[in-house]
Amino acid sequence: MPSITNISSSGLSRSFGSTRALHPIDLDVQAGITGLLGPNGSGKSTFMRCLVGLVRPDSGTAVVAGVDLEGDGVAIRQRVTYAPGELALYGELRASEHLDFLLRGRNHQALDRSRELAKALGLPLHKKVRGYSHGMKRQLVFAAAMAPDVSVRILDEPTEGLDPTKRAQVLEMMADDAQDGRTILLSSHHLGEVDAVCENLAFLDGGRLVSVENAKQVAERTSRIVRLWWTAGVPADACQVLSAAGEERVRNLEDHLLVHLSSSDPRPFLKRLADAPLPAPSAVEHGRISLALLYREIYGVDGI
Amino acid sequence: MLLGYTLVLELMLVAAILYWPNFRDHLGAVKLLSKPLPVLGDIISKVESIGVAAYVVGQHFFKGCNVLGAAAAALIGAAAVAGEAQRGTLEIWLARPVTRLRLASERFLSGQSVIWLGIFLTTLTIPLLLSQVDESMRLDRLLLCATHQCLFLGAIFSVTFLISCASSEPTRISMGVLFFTIFEFGIYLVKTVTHWSIYRLADIEVYHKVLVSGALDWSIAGPLLGVNVLGFWGGYAFLQRRCP
Repeated sequence: MPSITNISSSGLSRSFGSTRALHPIDLDVQAGITGLLGPNGSGKSTFMRCLVGLVRPDSGTAVVAGVDLEGDGVAIRQRVTYAPGELALYGELRASEHLDFLLRGRNHQALDRSRELAKALGLPLHKKVRGYSHGMKRQLVFAAAMAPDVSVRILDEPTEGLDPTKRAQVLEMMADDAQDGRTILLSSHHLGEVDAVCENLAFLDGGRLVSVENAKQVAERTSRIVRLWWTAGVPADACQVLSAAGEERVRNLEDHLLVHLSSSDPRPFLKRLADAPLPAPSAVEHGRISLALLYREIYGVDGI
Repeated sequence: MLLGYTLVLELMLVAAILYWPNFRDHLGAVKLLSKPLPVLGDIISKVESIGVAAYVVGQHFFKGCNVLGAAAAALIGAAAVAGEAQRGTLEIWLARPVTRLRLASERFLSGQSVIWLGIFLTTLTIPLLLSQVDESMRLDRLLLCATHQCLFLGAIFSVTFLISCASSEPTRISMGVLFFTIFEFGIYLVKTVTHWSIYRLADIEVYHKVLVSGALDWSIAGPLLGVNVLGFWGGYAFLQRRCP
């Protein structure tokens, strides 16, 4: 099936006063789930808000669900759903009333569907929202964002604050939704979950798009990485020895050594390792880099 | 909010009208008491010369609505948009597929309607209350006065709404507007600076003109209407650029 670009941003930028929140961003997002990753303050939420017209970009254009971003973005918001990352709801409303509020401007089917989703998530709809926990509020907003029959959903940290069971349920719902050909742009700090459901990954840092990778590229990148552990800790001269032996890049991550190979076949490296004047490592891992480590490799910081 | 505001206005009106016979009978003494305050003396003189009509518009519009209505306008106007920002709900309020023009219109009109409804509902009861003290006033003229009062308070609300659209601190806005209106009401009572008070635009003299002519004084009502309209469009312009 040919991939359809449902979100296209071209040179989208935004500053708040003297702070450049977004440097010009060019990004195309196809059907399926795309993860938007980046540390706090990297511009993920601002980018998402620009896409749905909540924040006016200083420059650049965007087309979302076939609609040009212009004016207050209402034409886009009619064709997409958006779940904000910052969560504050009207405590005095009952959950069912809150769904009515969130889905204003949508049809009755969307409202009915949101109630079904909320029930599936185990949310008591008769209860006032002030009695909801943070995670329950997050699920309520998620149910509202997943209900309308639209082609694009933009979800800012939809699993933040959820327990592992609910998180798995929410991810499963997203995966099912994407199976129907929808486009989901998802931001998250939970790198494990992004790893599990996203087909594409876009990395933001300091308001800049630093990398866009699909699952294949991530697999290729990870297949070139070998990690080594020693019981007594990383030998002091390990980096120097392995670099001299011809490895492309060797980094000492304190508890272990990370080696970037020149090819995805680890056998030549393992042979060189065996010949090197180093103690035998207690553990060797190949091709199983976590997104947290990938994140660290790109940004030099730990993902949360 | 509407119920409480209307109820207090009505209670003040009932008390004032039922007190009218007593007040009328002791006008001479009241006039003597008001001597140190020339502006108050002028008001009493108007009541003395015009009669119950000046008393009613003075009690209901100039005192009741101007004080209580201004407070309501400040509180409701300040919370219109800044209240959403303060409680953190601005983003979900804006994120729905509804235009900002519509959101601004709804907030503006609902706030205005609270102020207008309170004034009109209480004004409608004046003829009935006056009949209890063997007095009467024409309802159509009273409703014209109510319209003028609504334009005046609407102007205060509109300016507050405009500030609210650009701010995230409703308490500061409402306190600021309340302080301003109390200050303005205060200076109205000081003869040498009365002309600087916005309450000159909604005092007994203005209402008496409306009662006598049977028409709004557009030299005052026009600019007030203009402030209402500008307040809305200014607020909308801020809301259009507002980020969650």
